[in-house]
Amino acid sequence: MKNFGLTIVCALLLFPVRGRAGATIEGTVALPKSRLAPVPNERYEIVSKAGVLATYPPRGVVYLEGNFSAPAHLPTKQVAQKNLAFAPPLLAIQVGTKVEFPNLDDTYHNIFSYSPTKRFDLGRYPAGENPPPSVVFDKPGLVTLRCDIHEHMRGLILVLETPYFTVTDATGRYRLTNLPAGHFVLKAWIDSRTTRERPVDLQSGATARVDLP
Amino acid sequence: MKAAAESRPAGIGRFRLRLLLAMMVVIALFVSLGIYFADRRAAQVTQDELRRDFQLELDALHRLEDLRYAAVADRSNSFAQNSRIHAALEDNALDLLYPSAEEELRDLLTNAEGSPNDAAGLHALFYRFLDGRGEVLAPPAGEAGTLLPNEQAALAQKSVPQTIETGYLPRRLARGGSAVSEIIAVPIRSTEDNEVIATLVLGFQPLVAINRDRGSGMKSGILTAGKLQLPDLGPAAEARLAGELQARLPTDGGGAHSFRTTIDGRPQLLFFKRLNPRSHYPPAYEVCLYPLKQLLARERTLRGQILGAGGILLLGGFVASHFLARRLSRPVEKLAVVSEENRAQRQKAEAQLQTTSEELQRSARFSADASHQLKSPITVLRAGLDSLLTREGFSTEVYEEIETLIHQTYRLTGVVEDLLLLSRMDAGKLRLNLRAVDLSRLVAEWLDDLATLPEAAELKVESDLPNELLVAGEKKYTAVVVENLLDNARKYNYRDGRIRIRAWEKNRRIELRVANTGRGIPAEAQPHVFERFHRAAVSNDVAGHGLGLNLARELLRLHGGDLRLVRSDAQWTEFAALFATANDLDGVADAAR
Repeated sequence: MKNFGLTIVCALLLFPVRGRAGATIEGTVALPKSRLAPVPNERYEIVSKAGVLATYPPRGVVYLEGNFSAPAHLPTKQVAQKNLAFAPPLLAIQVGTKVEFPNLDDTYHNIFSYSPTKRFDLGRYPAGENPPPSVVFDKPGLVTLRCDIHEHMRGLILVLETPYFTVTDATGRYRLTNLPAGHFVLKAWIDSRTTRERPVDLQSGATARVDLP
Repeated sequence: MKAAAESRPAGIGRFRLRLLLAMMVVIALFVSLGIYFADRRAAQVTQDELRRDFQLELDALHRLEDLRYAAVADRSNSFAQNSRIHAALEDNALDLLYPSAEEELRDLLTNAEGSPNDAAGLHALFYRFLDGRGEVLAPPAGEAGTLLPNEQAALAQKSVPQTIETGYLPRRLARGGSAVSEIIAVPIRSTEDNEVIATLVLGFQPLVAINRDRGSGMKSGILTAGKLQLPDLGPAAEARLAGELQARLPTDGGGAHSFRTTIDGRPQLLFFKRLNPRSHYPPAYEVCLYPLKQLLARERTLRGQILGAGGILLLGGFVASHFLARRLSRPVEKLAVVSEENRAQRQKAEAQLQTTSEELQRSARFSADASHQLKSPITVLRAGLDSLLTREGFSTEVYEEIETLIHQTYRLTGVVEDLLLLSRMDAGKLRLNLRAVDLSRLVAEWLDDLATLPEAAELKVESDLPNELLVAGEKKYTAVVVENLLDNARKYNYRDGRIRIRAWEKNRRIELRVANTGRGIPAEAQPHVFERFHRAAVSNDVAGHGLGLNLARELLRLHGGDLRLVRSDAQWTEFAALFATANDLDGVADAAR
């Protein structure tokens, strides 16, 4: 019975993907020039310059904007604190997602946010807290994560109203798959003040190439 | 000499007195100048001492201030690193700013406003945040210390300060009265790019470093925004002093300044120095009032000492100058005595000269008067005798006697005329009218006259003269000279004697030599032969009155010539008369004038 139920859920989830081949968008987002050479390095951090928050080296978040119904269930995401830094530093999630903040360091952390999008304060907690402190982000927008104890720690969570989003690589390349067909607006978040957009027409099974300069 | 001796002490005394006075004036001048400068210096020194005190106290104040700065800066650094405050500022959560800071600043704040502070003055009365543009972020009610709206507005800055800046804020106290709060603005920098993102302004009770227990009566306060806060003064005095200070505020802001003023009629020395140089808040000045009563008392004592020293110096100077004057005046004294003697002698000589001159004048005038007074009686006498002679009935002896008398009147007339002429010459009143006179002719005329005289037949006359011999002279007087000489040669001659008359021109002079035989003039009488009324020991039977030679010589000299005796002995008497030639008329005329 249990296995059957699981099978049903899996079939319900996978059927539309399989049944109707989704659209794909790929391209490049023109990211701000970085002083560092664009090496395939997964490490980056959040920086603030004149009140503008961005990643460094720069990364973008590409997402499809439209009226999508909220799914019944959203996977829980994690932003860990490891080596006195948030990992990942930039996280994109759909509205309603629950994010856990596990402490993987040997020291206490106190994650909080004063961002209008979501204010929370998890208080001080050590590593191994189980379950890890978590927050459900129920409003779209940007959330700045800080640690009360380690003032240099900075993390970003971009809360989006769409399930279709991805973080670019260091060179700005992205690829979105399993998209619905139709007329949408493709947006690219560059930093807390800059978002680029472009209308796209998506056809089922086709791959559109959209560069966001 | 006696008169000079009497006048000496007065003159010399005056000189010495003058010298003494001049030296005393100079000494007094120097001493008073010295006193003046010493006095000024003394006043300056005491004032400088007070200034040093003020500076020292101010330095102590600044050291305390630095301590507070250090504490505040330390606090603000930890503050600037506070994630919550950064989050509140950067994530636009200003409502969370003051609550976030409260915990951090709680121990910094004192609860009761105006309550006595701790020694270091590290407890703040209030705090406010300024945003990135320098504007005040209002705190939630009841937090961060109470401030009136206008006081809070005064914390704003035109731009965010880059360093810690201080200001002074006049405040109205809740319990009445007013006070000044010291405000310290600390910039909060971003941990990312070190930009100033906000400013924390802390309000403190002003530090009081001045030790008031010194008994100096010193008062201190703060002047800011044109208002003086000097709690020990009344409001009126505060306002007045603020006005005085405002007028003297320097533009450069550095250094301690001072001036004198009076509070309630008591003199005070006021120092002031800017407390917050290089601050964007309005300038504030530490103001210290020192009562000058003690200072003035000290100055008075000092002045008394200076004056005493000056007086002693002056006295010494007087004594020294007295001796110096005496010594200096000694040679002058000697000189004065000598010159006084000289003067006396000169005066005496002048007086004698004057007397002589007056006597001469008097005698000249007398002979002139006498001559005039005598002439008329003689004329009357002669006229009477003449009429007697024409009358008949007298014996022959009587007629002879009358003739003798008439002859005597002529002689008398001659004497009177000679006297008249002499007196005119003596008085310098004889003016000559010079012409060319022919000397040869004058001699010839006399020879003609001589021929008429009875004794002429027995005289042998030798005359050796040029035909014309022109001399410069007035004819009348030249004739007198010639006649006198020739008459003498006739009169003082033997009955059958000889007369020799010669004349020649030599060295632009004409010399007339008249010589005669006769008894001659005795050798002892020869030097006096030209003196008046001197008849050179001649017999009384010869007519004469002793004026002829004198008159002749005076006249010749007046004409630029002379008369001298060439020789006189038992056989021969010779006179030489010198005349100026007519060629020299002008020169002689000048000389005769």
